[in-house]
Amino acid sequence: MSLHTSKRRKLSPSPEENVPQVPNANGSNEAAKLKSDTVKYRHSSMNGTMKGIKNDRSAEVAFASGLYKSSFFKLQLDELLGESRPNYNKQGSRLHGILHMLKDLIECIPDRPSKPVLEAEKDLRNESGISVPFPEPRPGKETKYPMSYAKPSNVNVVGSFALRTGIRMEQGYLVDLAVTMPSSLFQDKDFVNHRYFHKRAYYIACLAAGIKESKGLSLDLKFGLQDGDSLRPVIILEPTDSLRSELASTKSQIRIITAVDDKLFSITRTLPLKHNIRRASSGEEPGHEESMPFYNGSLRSESTVAPYHKYLHLATQKCDSFRDACVLGRIWLKQRGFGSAFQSGGFGGFEWSLLLALLFECGGPEGKPILSNMYSSYQLFKATMQFISRRDLTKPLLCFGSGGSDIQFPNGCPVIYDCIRGTNLLYKMTPWSYALFRHEADATLKMLNESRDDNFENVFIVKVSEPMMRFDRVLSLPSSGNNNVLRALHEQLAIYRVISRALGDRVKLISLSSQSGELWSVETKQPRGKANGEISVGLVLDADNSSRVVDHGPSAEQKEEAASFRDFWGGKAELRRFKDGSILESLVWSDHPSSASVVYQILTYILQRHFNTTQSNVKYIGDDYDEKLRNAGSGILSYSSQGFQLAANAFTSLERSLHSMDDIPLTVRHVAPAAPLLRYTALQVPNGADAASEPVDIVLQFESSARWPDDLAAIQMTKVAFLIKIGDALDSSGAALSCNVGLENESSKILNNAFLDIIHSSGVTFRLRIHHDREQTLLDRQLKEKDIGPQAREETAYALSAYRRIFIQVPRLTQAIRTLCTRYPLLSPTIRLVKHWFNSHLFAAHVNEELIELLATRTFTHPHPWEPPSSVMTGFLRTLHFLSRWDWHQEPLVVGLGGELDQTTIEEVRTRLSAWRSIDPAMNTVSLFAASDIDHDGTTWTKHEIPPKVVAGRMSTLAKASIKLLREKGCNLDIFELFHTSLAPYDFIVSLRPKALKDRLPLATRFKGLNDQSTRTRDLKSTAFQSFIRDLQACYSQSILLFHGGEHSDMVAGLWNPQTMKPKGWSLKTAYSVSPKPSGDSKERSEDVSINNTAILNEISRLGTGLIESIEVHKA
Amino acid sequence: MKGIPHEIAGYTVLPLQLPKTPTFPTPATHYLYLRPHEPRIPDPDSPRSLFLVNVPIDTTETHLRHLFGSQLSAGRVERVQFENIPTKKNAGQILTQGNVAKSKKRKRVTADELQNQLDDIELPSTYDRQLQKSGAHAVVVFADKPSMEASMKAAVKAAKRDVKIIWGDGIEDRIPPLGLSRYVGHDLYRYPDRKELLRTVNDYMTIFTQVAEARKKEQSRAAQEPDEDGFITVTHGPRLNSVAREEEYKEMVEKQKKKSEGLEDFYRFQSREKRKEKQNDLLKRFDEDRKKLDELKKRKGKIRVSFIPTKLSCMG
Repeated sequence: MSLHTSKRRKLSPSPEENVPQVPNANGSNEAAKLKSDTVKYRHSSMNGTMKGIKNDRSAEVAFASGLYKSSFFKLQLDELLGESRPNYNKQGSRLHGILHMLKDLIECIPDRPSKPVLEAEKDLRNESGISVPFPEPRPGKETKYPMSYAKPSNVNVVGSFALRTGIRMEQGYLVDLAVTMPSSLFQDKDFVNHRYFHKRAYYIACLAAGIKESKGLSLDLKFGLQDGDSLRPVIILEPTDSLRSELASTKSQIRIITAVDDKLFSITRTLPLKHNIRRASSGEEPGHEESMPFYNGSLRSESTVAPYHKYLHLATQKCDSFRDACVLGRIWLKQRGFGSAFQSGGFGGFEWSLLLALLFECGGPEGKPILSNMYSSYQLFKATMQFISRRDLTKPLLCFGSGGSDIQFPNGCPVIYDCIRGTNLLYKMTPWSYALFRHEADATLKMLNESRDDNFENVFIVKVSEPMMRFDRVLSLPSSGNNNVLRALHEQLAIYRVISRALGDRVKLISLSSQSGELWSVETKQPRGKANGEISVGLVLDADNSSRVVDHGPSAEQKEEAASFRDFWGGKAELRRFKDGSILESLVWSDHPSSASVVYQILTYILQRHFNTTQSNVKYIGDDYDEKLRNAGSGILSYSSQGFQLAANAFTSLERSLHSMDDIPLTVRHVAPAAPLLRYTALQVPNGADAASEPVDIVLQFESSARWPDDLAAIQMTKVAFLIKIGDALDSSGAALSCNVGLENESSKILNNAFLDIIHSSGVTFRLRIHHDREQTLLDRQLKEKDIGPQAREETAYALSAYRRIFIQVPRLTQAIRTLCTRYPLLSPTIRLVKHWFNSHLFAAHVNEELIELLATRTFTHPHPWEPPSSVMTGFLRTLHFLSRWDWHQEPLVVGLGGELDQTTIEEVRTRLSAWRSIDPAMNTVSLFAASDIDHDGTTWTKHEIPPKVVAGRMSTLAKASIKLLREKGCNLDIFELFHTSLAPYDFIVSLRPKALKDRLPLATRFKGLNDQSTRTRDLKSTAFQSFIRDLQACYSQSILLFHGGEHSDMVAGLWNPQTMKPKGWSLKTAYSVSPKPSGDSKERSEDVSINNTAILNEISRLGTGLIESIEVHKA
Repeated sequence: MKGIPHEIAGYTVLPLQLPKTPTFPTPATHYLYLRPHEPRIPDPDSPRSLFLVNVPIDTTETHLRHLFGSQLSAGRVERVQFENIPTKKNAGQILTQGNVAKSKKRKRVTADELQNQLDDIELPSTYDRQLQKSGAHAVVVFADKPSMEASMKAAVKAAKRDVKIIWGDGIEDRIPPLGLSRYVGHDLYRYPDRKELLRTVNDYMTIFTQVAEARKKEQSRAAQEPDEDGFITVTHGPRLNSVAREEEYKEMVEKQKKKSEGLEDFYRFQSREKRKEKQNDLLKRFDEDRKKLDELKKRKGKIRVSFIPTKLSCMG
């Protein structure tokens, strides 16, 4: 059978091949081959997956791999679709009754004869207490046209409920009931000057009155706005709280919208740019030309309700996966904050469905269709994304029309014009919302095309629209309210133009949004422009330009441009002569560390100038994160600041000196930086030659030589000899102020024993270790030996991993991060702020800096669903966001550090993780698993309980709490709250004496009569602190979990290991101080012992004599 | 303290008062557990030794001498073996014994003796006072058996009578202090004198070379001498151990692979099989994915879009 098909395939071209450019799901040829094999299965499998009929499995497999990104992607997609589709059968049957009743009721509402406006309004108020929701400007006394009501020509359920293209939502489901107003109510010219909308408002009010009078329905009657459009008020029926009605149980709302016959207004009179508001006399509507496309679009959409409903219905009939694609689109839009209302972008679920339906017939080059009925829902989705991202719609796209080419369209706005029905599908979209929309589509397309991740979560599950993670700066401005959509549009356009001109290339995206109106009672007027109406502006900055201090304007000779420049900038513009001799209009902003960011300076200035908004009226978010970093991190923000450059230069100079040493028997092959300071990620940066600094690690490797001894201990001794020689050489060449060989790990013969501390002439202290690659082979060999005891094996394994970390991975990571820091200017500050977060929550003892760096780097090299951050805020919050979602029990962290990170690497890391999990299910050695393209091992930074499982859990909890706080408080979040940690959960707190640690340098000289010690100006505070912590950890590794915030914190918090808190049987293996259990009254002799907390605390206090200020015990 | 048993699991419980400190004034009692030393493999010292469990972290030999000698006024302590310091001498002895049985006595001993010498050369210590792990053991070797027995008795008596023994009371000036000054000292000691370092290294390297030479000689001699059965072990070149062999093996596999490259599609059945394999692979992966999804659902709940309510508004 299968042979047969494959033969036939050769003879007749498969129908698949006729389909125009199938967006190949994963681009593999083999998948394409398989696809044609399975064409004949197509239908059965489609129905199979949808209706759950058991079908041929192999067909489904092939189907999935051919038409989807990956089979796992498809499975997730199916699951998502199943969960997102509302249960139409259940809801439909419940709603059916209500909708029918409503329809009957509406059809029975008695006609109302024509009356002048005021009289009609008054009558209605007196009779039924309904206030007519006239849109602004309200009809006045001089209004000539009469108001009347007549039985609707049609009442019908339309929209996503009827078409079954909607998604399940928490706040309930919206069912559209379209009431077609009879054409007899209107006159020819009703499309001008809001006449139609006034009549419509009256009609709506009459409907409301009719529904209100009938007592049969237990529904709450309210007015609302259709898509935030104040021209079009609608009736919203909500279940009343008191009665558990049918509707309440379905959590649904019914929205009554109006429609008119599509021939009522001729298309030619309502083209986008036709002037249909002609009240020149009143003249209080400035710039109403700009609002014409919206006004006309609004009119047209009233007359296209029925035609588009039919059109969409047809599409659901023609294409099986159309509905699913609509569901996917709605989810995608929802996660990106897009909605039908112009305030939220003007592109919602309805627009999405319609766009899909149109693309079945046109959109491609020469009017060819983009989509095919044969596509799967995923292909429909992806092809549409491709269309949105590739096709610039500000060059109008005309559908179905050859004659439409002479139609005028507004400049800079996107247009998809349906020539048959005379509407611009995107009439509600603004230039900024379209830019954001395309940006999102572009990002999504990138995610779908990426082969290393399936990105399912990023495309559909992650909420992309959270403003503080999406935008680098968020500001909110007071607005004059939403009562008049045309005025709001005008206002926002003005703000957009000013901001975008003022910021120029400092921003990549500007997005404005506001709230679409709320519901109001039918008995009152629409609430007047509320005081707290606001426009929030989100900015995506260009990291390279955003902090530029000087802006160049036109040259003084270009009179016109210069005048316009001066007009725009006012007093801020000044004429300057530049080095190259040119005289330009220019702007100079302050870059003093104490002043606000340049973007903030520009915005406050320009908003004040053009809109008179004072600083107190504007809320501005984003700078506080920069500020936080400055306060915590030596006042330094950028990797290019002086402190970092000083260290980098010192390293280069030292490297040169090391290469040119004379008296060393071996030649230096390589000197590698291996410290945070040299990869721009140190939180504390020494800011001058005088400051005592932490030693900066570097690694030196000699050319290989056979003269090294072939023994681990002897290698260590040889290293000592070399270090002494190097020190002598540097001393004599004058490159170093002083050199001292120091010892570490002196109790071990296989770990690195010695280092050379070099105080460079620039004041930076370097700590040099010698890398000898034979060590690795020897350790490896020792590990493979069979007669080695378990303890020795453990030690050797530890030594091997320490060797790899110190001599291989740290230098490699340093190199990679250094490069990335220059590629992403915000990487360094982000890493440093994240480090500060970890320190603030006292994780310093449990988390390696390198792990934090990987976490923060991930935000940049795997930015999906966003772009790489251009501000500290987005970088920091997105890293927290990732941390809060990281399921580290099951998922490895795999970070691309600029190299090739492909799927096989990720698979390899995954396999390694599952191997670890199966040999160490309790996560006693490894909890977090972090790999990168330069380190597939995954445990380099996290082995040996760094952090232990409990601490990793706490890290996740804290990150989750932070994100929750962010969501609850939004822009009102005080950054202090993210960094504040409570000390209450700890069992005891050891406060250190910050002062005592500073004045012991004279003490040091007294200690030993060593004269050369006087040159050593290192910070003894941190070394004493570090040694103290190390002692505590070594002595109490089994009984205490220690928390502290790095060497600059002045306290250590401790938790008793919960395992030790229970009394236990006496055992030699108990590795902590125990006291016998008092036997008390009972004569029974107990062999149980419990931890002796007081004795331990006493020991700690004696160990830290002179360091400790006090010990506060919460739980002993 | 009332109600504290005097003995637990065969160990005498000896309460010690820890000296109060200004930063932690709460009185604290430490409990030391002791019994006669009975190791699994007894050595000549064990009959006159006590086995101590849970020594305080700051315990030094001086402390224990003081405890048994003055505070309990019983026995004279010869030396103390702490848990964290490996007992080199013993290890050396065992090694020697093991080797003696196998081969020529005299020559072997020299090489191993040299090795012992080598092991004794250490880099200078960076602390003037080492710490013990919390809950660590120690073996106290007394001058003779009666001293040990007297000490044990005194400890039992002290435990029963609730004699107040203050840990390290009266020897404060005999041991380096803890705390900040210890750390300041550490900061000096970790940078030993250049001369001292050089001397250590030179000593080490000299003996290291001697050891290597002695070993080489012994080996070459062993290669020439017939063993008990009259056979001469033939050795050649540097010994390839398993690691080196593995590398060789890997290389061979690589070579083999390269050879067979490009011949996979030679016969029709090969390509057919390959296709089949791929299909099966896909099937397998699909099943795996399905399992993964089920697992995912179990862990995270259903795949569902939760529309997290975000506060967009900035005012009010």
